[in-house]
Amino acid sequence: MIAGLVLLAGGVAAGVFGSLLGLGGGILIVPLLTLGFGLPLRVAVAVSLVSVIVTSSASAGVYLEKHVANLRLGMVLELFSASGALVGGLVAFMLPPNVLEGLFAALLIWVAVSMVRRKDPPKNGSAVVPAAASAETPGTGTFTDTLNGPGYRVHSLPLGMGGSLFAGLVSALLGVGGGIIKVPTMHLMMGVPLKVATATSNMMIGITAVSSAVIYLLRGQIDPYVAGPTAVGVFAGAMIGTRIAPRVDVRVLRWLFVVVLSYTAFQMGQKALGL
Amino acid sequence: MSFSPIPSTTPAQETAARLESLAARLLTWGTRVSMALILVGVLGMLASGVDPITAISPPFSLAAIPGQIAALEPAGFLWAGLIVLVVLPLGRVVVSGAGFLAAGDRRLALVSALVILVIAISIIAALGLEG
Repeated sequence: MIAGLVLLAGGVAAGVFGSLLGLGGGILIVPLLTLGFGLPLRVAVAVSLVSVIVTSSASAGVYLEKHVANLRLGMVLELFSASGALVGGLVAFMLPPNVLEGLFAALLIWVAVSMVRRKDPPKNGSAVVPAAASAETPGTGTFTDTLNGPGYRVHSLPLGMGGSLFAGLVSALLGVGGGIIKVPTMHLMMGVPLKVATATSNMMIGITAVSSAVIYLLRGQIDPYVAGPTAVGVFAGAMIGTRIAPRVDVRVLRWLFVVVLSYTAFQMGQKALGL
Repeated sequence: MSFSPIPSTTPAQETAARLESLAARLLTWGTRVSMALILVGVLGMLASGVDPITAISPPFSLAAIPGQIAALEPAGFLWAGLIVLVVLPLGRVVVSGAGFLAAGDRRLALVSALVILVIAISIIAALGLEG
């Protein structure tokens, strides 16, 4: 019973942190289950993918209702992220666990560095779009033009497709949502406003995770006794995080998170090297 | 840099907006149903003293789930909730694809169909590996 409650609490913590910092819960859940509970990495990745679907479905519902997410763009890109996840889900069963652990440690370091370098959005509005792009009326000529949203034009679609493919691969291998790749791809390379990119990424990660989750499910790698409490915890944590977000100093939280990520990366790296 | 939204929208964006509302309702209610089922399973699991770390994971069998639920077994509720959860994003794609098709947007309808195809290949590949 104690372990069930600890899993629930771990899920809540991952959900709160994730929603406050704009990350899926996977980056915390995989280390919690492997380093904290000693579960095999593949089982942890499978449980994490379930949590990613929870986060995606819950938040995408809100973002779509408010028309913040770009459904058309998201659907085109998720075709590529789902394809990447299909490949990743199959490759994950061929790679030795210590290789996956090493890759996860590298991902943790990447996320920690991204957190340090991230700039806070301006207080008066987070939806930033280049003025030159926003000054153009959405066109209807090419296929890419049909993916434009109100006030912005989408460009460099092939780059977005490539980024999404890679994000799907990473997601399936390591049990994370892949938003850490998708959001910069859409925002920096494709001209999508940050707020729209974040919301669209949240919607996309559900399908990305499902593409590989079905492989884990049908191969008997999803343990419902572990996935259940964790998923409920993540759902509750995400709701708590959304409510307390206005009262939390995210800068302090971010630095705390960087320390936790760095320590976890060290632990995971040691495990990968068999130390 | 400044953000100045342009109020004008294209017919494609209006179609997308309608579908977004529909997909949003599906995801919101589906997540609630899924979480309710999983919560019942977790409470049953805690009440019956199952240790999630040391207990043997109940095998996944779609056909066995109704019987497990009828017998009030926690595993049945957990599996049912997890299945609803996994199906949800797919439901969103199907609903959106059907909507795009109804609106005459064949390209986006085709994209939706291809996404479903990728998931279908995942299932076939997983079953093939299992066999």
